[in-house]
Amino acid sequence: MSYKLPMGPFHPGLEEPYKLEMICEGETICDAKLHIGFNFRGIEHLAETRNYVQLIALMERVCGICSFIHTLTLCQTLEKLTGLEPPPRALYIRVIMAELERLHSHVLWAGIAAKLMGFKTLFMASFAYREKVMDMLQAISGNRVNYSMNRIGGVNRDITDPDSLLKMVNLLENEIARELVPVFTSSYTAKSRCAGIGILTRDRAQSCGVVGPTARASGIPQDLRRAAPYAAYPEMEFDVPVEAAGDVRARLLVRAYEILQSCRILRQAIAKLPPGEFACNETKLSFVTGTAISRVEAPRGEVVYSVSWKENSRTPSRVHARTPTYVNMPAVRWMILGARVADAPLIQASIDPCYSCTDR
Amino acid sequence: MNEIEELAAKLQVTDVSTDVSGVKWFTTGNLDIRDLVPVLSRAGARFVTITANELPMNQGFCLEYLWDLNGQLLGFAFYPTGNTMPSIYDICEAADWIEREIHEEYSIDFTGRVYEPLLLRDSDRTGVNLHEVAR
Repeated sequence: MSYKLPMGPFHPGLEEPYKLEMICEGETICDAKLHIGFNFRGIEHLAETRNYVQLIALMERVCGICSFIHTLTLCQTLEKLTGLEPPPRALYIRVIMAELERLHSHVLWAGIAAKLMGFKTLFMASFAYREKVMDMLQAISGNRVNYSMNRIGGVNRDITDPDSLLKMVNLLENEIARELVPVFTSSYTAKSRCAGIGILTRDRAQSCGVVGPTARASGIPQDLRRAAPYAAYPEMEFDVPVEAAGDVRARLLVRAYEILQSCRILRQAIAKLPPGEFACNETKLSFVTGTAISRVEAPRGEVVYSVSWKENSRTPSRVHARTPTYVNMPAVRWMILGARVADAPLIQASIDPCYSCTDR
Repeated sequence: MNEIEELAAKLQVTDVSTDVSGVKWFTTGNLDIRDLVPVLSRAGARFVTITANELPMNQGFCLEYLWDLNGQLLGFAFYPTGNTMPSIYDICEAADWIEREIHEEYSIDFTGRVYEPLLLRDSDRTGVNLHEVAR
C-alpha cells in the first residue's frame, strides 16, 4: 500500500523552504512532486522599477551565496548595452572574486553534505574552512556576503595586497587538499553513504537540461568557463572534472576536485594580475535600445541574464534571470525514484540547491 | 559548412543574425516551435530558457527561446497569437518550469499541457500578470 510523505516546506533536512511530496511504498520512494515558490519575491518585476545603480544592488540580493555571480552576469549584459569594456585588471579581479565565491559555495555545501551523511566533525571543519574563504572575500571587498564589487565597466575595489592573498590561498589549499578532499574522495563513510544513490543518468541529465556540477557528475563535460569564456578565463589553465556515475558520490567528487581547480585558477589570476585601472571612468552612461544576454558559470552551474533597455529610459523594460537550481531541481524527481526515504535529504542536497535563486 | 549553417539548412532558415551578445538569432517565419525542438535535440543542443517580453502598445508578447549548442547561444523569437503558444513540455522536459512560470506571470497559455502552480500557491489565482502589478 502506498502512502504520501511530505517533506517541507519547513523541515530539519532542508536548508531553505521548499516541499517534496513523496509517494512511498514501505521505505521506497515511488514518485515525487516538487513545490517551490516559498521564497518568491517578485525580483524580476521589481527590477523594472529600478535604475542601473539600484538594479545592481537589487540583483545582488537574488542569492546570498552567489551574490557576486549575479551582479557579474548583470553587469556583463549592461556593458553590452552601454558599450563599456572593463579594463584588464577588472577582468582578473572578477575571476578572483568568482573563484573565491565558488570555493565559499563548495565548502559550505561540503559541510551541509557532511552533516546529512552523519559526519558532524567534517561539518565543523568545513565551516572553519569557509570562514577563511570569507575572510579573504572580506579582505578584498570589505563585506562577507553581498560584496558590492561589480559595477558597469569594472569593479568597485582594487586588490591592493595580492601577495597576502596568494599566501592565504596557498594555506587554504594545503589544508583543504590534506583534510577535506581525501574524506570525500577516499573515506569509507562517504563512499558507503553516497555511492549508488540518487542516480541521474546522462540521458536524463540531458533531457532535463541540468547544468554545472550536477551535469558534470552525470558525464556531461559542460562548463561555460571553457565553452564560452568570459572575464579573464580565456587566459586561465584549468581542468573540468567530470564523473560518469551520476550518483551522489559523483556529485561529491566533482565538487571536491573543483575546489582544487578553483585554487589553481586563483593562484594564476593573482600571479598574473595586470597593472592599471580597475574600472572605466565614465560618469554618465547611455544605453542603446535592445536586449543583451550574458551567461556565467556559477558554483551551481550556468546563470543566464537577459536584460532589455530602451534608449533614454531610466529603468530596464525587462530583466530575466535563469538560475542553475531552476534547471537542476526538477531532476531531483528522477534522482529519488527507487531511493530509500532516509536518503531523500542527502539526494536533494547533492545538487546544492538554492531556493532563493530559484524563486527570485 | 559549420554547425550553425548546417542547423539553418535543416530548419530551412535563410537568415541568421548575430546580436550584441553574440547570440545567433534564427528568423522564425513559418517555423513551428514543435518542429524546431526535435531538430535541435538531434543536433545536441541544450534547452536554456524562454524569456517573455511584453511588446509596447498592447501588441502582445514575444517569447525568446534560447538553446546552447557547444557554448554558442541560439535564439528563436516567436510572437504568440492570442497569447497562446504550443507547449513543448512533452518533447522537451526542461521547458516545464519556465512554461509554468510564464503562464503564471504573463497570462500566456501554453496549449496541450496540464498546469500545476509553480511559484504561486494552490489558493492563488494563476494567470495574473505580475508584470503589470509591479508597475
